[in-house]
Amino acid sequence: MTTYAERPTITMPGVAPASKGKNFVKWITSTDHKTIGYLYLMTSFAWFMVGGLLALVLRVELSRPGLQFVSTEQYNQVFTMHGTIMLLMFATPLFVGFANVIMPLQIGAADVAFPRLNMLSYWLYFFGSLMAVAGFLSPGGAASFGWTAYAPLANSTYSPGIGGDLWVIGLAISGLGTILGGVNFITTIFTMRAPGMTMFRMSIFSWNVLLTSILVLLAFPPLAAALLGLESDRLYGSHLFDPANGGAMLWQHLFWFFGHPEVYILALPFFGIATEILPVFSRKPIFGYKGLIAATIAISALSVAVWAHHMFVSGQVLLPFFSFMTFLIGVPTGVKFFNWIGTMWRGHVTFETPMLWVMGFLVTFLFGGLTGIILASPPLDFAVSATYFVVAHFHYVLFGTVVFAMFAGFYFWWPKFTGKMLNERLGKIHFWTLFFGFHLTFLVQHWLGIKGFPRRYADYLATDGFTYMNMVSTVGSFLLALSMIPFFVNIWITRKAPMVESDDPWGYGSSLEWATSCPPPRHNFLSMPRIRSERPAFDLHHPHIKTEGH
Amino acid sequence: MTILNPMSFKASKTHKVGKARRVLLWVLIAPVSVLLSGCSKVSGLGYEEGLSSVNDITLPLWQGAWIAAGVVGVFTLILILWPAVFHRAKESKGEFPKQTQYNVPVEILYTLIPFLIVAVLFFYTVQKETKIVETTTAPAHEIGVEGFQWSWQFTYPEAGPKAVITGTPANRPTLVIPVGEKVRYTITANDVVHTFFIPAFMIQKMNLPGYTNKIEFTANKVGEYPGRCNMHCGRNHSQMLFNVKVVTSAEYKQYIEDLKASTA
Repeated sequence: MTTYAERPTITMPGVAPASKGKNFVKWITSTDHKTIGYLYLMTSFAWFMVGGLLALVLRVELSRPGLQFVSTEQYNQVFTMHGTIMLLMFATPLFVGFANVIMPLQIGAADVAFPRLNMLSYWLYFFGSLMAVAGFLSPGGAASFGWTAYAPLANSTYSPGIGGDLWVIGLAISGLGTILGGVNFITTIFTMRAPGMTMFRMSIFSWNVLLTSILVLLAFPPLAAALLGLESDRLYGSHLFDPANGGAMLWQHLFWFFGHPEVYILALPFFGIATEILPVFSRKPIFGYKGLIAATIAISALSVAVWAHHMFVSGQVLLPFFSFMTFLIGVPTGVKFFNWIGTMWRGHVTFETPMLWVMGFLVTFLFGGLTGIILASPPLDFAVSATYFVVAHFHYVLFGTVVFAMFAGFYFWWPKFTGKMLNERLGKIHFWTLFFGFHLTFLVQHWLGIKGFPRRYADYLATDGFTYMNMVSTVGSFLLALSMIPFFVNIWITRKAPMVESDDPWGYGSSLEWATSCPPPRHNFLSMPRIRSERPAFDLHHPHIKTEGH
Repeated sequence: MTILNPMSFKASKTHKVGKARRVLLWVLIAPVSVLLSGCSKVSGLGYEEGLSSVNDITLPLWQGAWIAAGVVGVFTLILILWPAVFHRAKESKGEFPKQTQYNVPVEILYTLIPFLIVAVLFFYTVQKETKIVETTTAPAHEIGVEGFQWSWQFTYPEAGPKAVITGTPANRPTLVIPVGEKVRYTITANDVVHTFFIPAFMIQKMNLPGYTNKIEFTANKVGEYPGRCNMHCGRNHSQMLFNVKVVTSAEYKQYIEDLKASTA
């Protein structure tokens, strides 16, 4: 028999509505993990828009042979900043945003472990990213050596100009914010779980936040070291990445030792979001919960041992080892797919907008995963490495994961964030426009790569046979960009929608955030339900339903 | 029974599930039959057969990997879409499905099968990559390939120390090589990193300042092929193109003689 107390209705004592200025100061000085999380989500989404506009510049430039409206130097700046913004100013802080808002709610904590450090992390990210992009305002323009900044191209001989320095130091500052965020999340998860919330009752999203944060601590310090070393070369003439001392390979090793775990830093939290949504709209528990955690741990461990697969064509790495480790990562990733499928299998599946986005994620990421297995084989990589085949592959993997799961998360948690539901019809229009736009843009790029079109080319010859496919891709990219309109319309028209009455507006929520109000009070919970399984909110709302198959 | 059929989480006898099993069985059998009929011709999937010794080594792997990826992809896609279509909520089914959370045999099965697939791919990968990167002691010809911002310099030691072809972004250099004879390429750079890339030959290698890379391969068909720099190297990266011209042995000998004469 389960007993629980009804939550008392608490009305806030008459606080006068704050002025706009006071609200602004409250937001920028807040220590509330939710407010800081919203700041992260809004800032990273703004960078997503900027990075997207830069991508449109690239696509327009490539639509036809010849230079259309930017010079090759400007083109190099644009793709460098597109990559930098999307990976380090959009996707990484987007993880920090979701983790900030959702993870403390899911583990039943009142806030994160270090609320003021949390705000400091945000401001390091905010100013660091502005600084890196500020190169566009400098006389020489922004950094143009690619987001990978290979030595010696990125040194002061081959890339002089303040834009490069702003990029290096901006990323170092922003990266410090990410590291501090990782420290905060790990401490929060280890020390602030509610009574009853054992590790094996924690929801998969929170598990993935934990593992992602550990990866942050492994990956970002080497990046910081590499960046500071590069700046010392640029500014003080040191010889850390001097080719005479093997600097060309040293940079590649350091960069990819960060760069590959970074891919999983971007992927794991968004796998987590998909894993939160599937059970809710299948009305079932996650299939193979513990196996799924084991798979995620395996992916995290393997992700630090595969970095040199980015360097197969360098001729300087041990091919069989890095190839094997990369293949191996396909195994736990495959396991995850079957966990997701098993969750839906014989469920009572419904297709509210969040679920639709998760389906989009599964289909897109599946194809990106398969081309990843192909690239894991050095002979095949020799044929297509650094061509548009790779560009297509990582957009399927990263866009497929980060963007599809981000929108899934927005539609899913919007009532938890704001107390208001987003419009379902607009959400579905948004999904299908984006889905077709995305595949039209990127599917054809696989063939471009196989035909031998290298990435980072501002131009190509009319005789190369790349024109038609590039035009298709450019048309797709505009459809993709247009898909943002229904989203913004949706936010606008639902801004005054009635507040949701229930703690769990979807009806079958599993994790603890669905056991508090929408939006939650300042310290998250007015009462804590009993936590006796990994679905405390589901147990609370549907006490008669029992889990089977242990 | 459960182990043989990964889809039956718990035995059930509804018509739909029976149908699902038939389809899935078919999906499982199809790849095996494709693999068994290994002699059946598969197209080059974007690459032409017989252009170079690398194509000869890599193409079968490229085709095999795509067949495997296609089978796994279609199988998984069906599994994703199946519940989306057939396991939707209905009034008649009641509010809640059975709350199945674990099925250990199925979980073991879907961990082992991907492992077997990647083990097979890795086996062939190692065989092939060893052949591609292998260097011999005395290749028939040696050519130096130096990348610089933003063109290429090809040196032909057999035509004397001064036999150097230097290109510019506007005036693309031509790499002349003999058909059917193995050439060793010594790949270097003195400024930034470049990559020597001949797409049609399925091969590329970085020109790394501070390092010397060597690759050997044979061009097997007379003709002209585009070559490109495949590592971002600064402002005119996209103009760092070259032509590959594969000629007969006699023409190559003549070319070397002409080079000797013109640079002596």
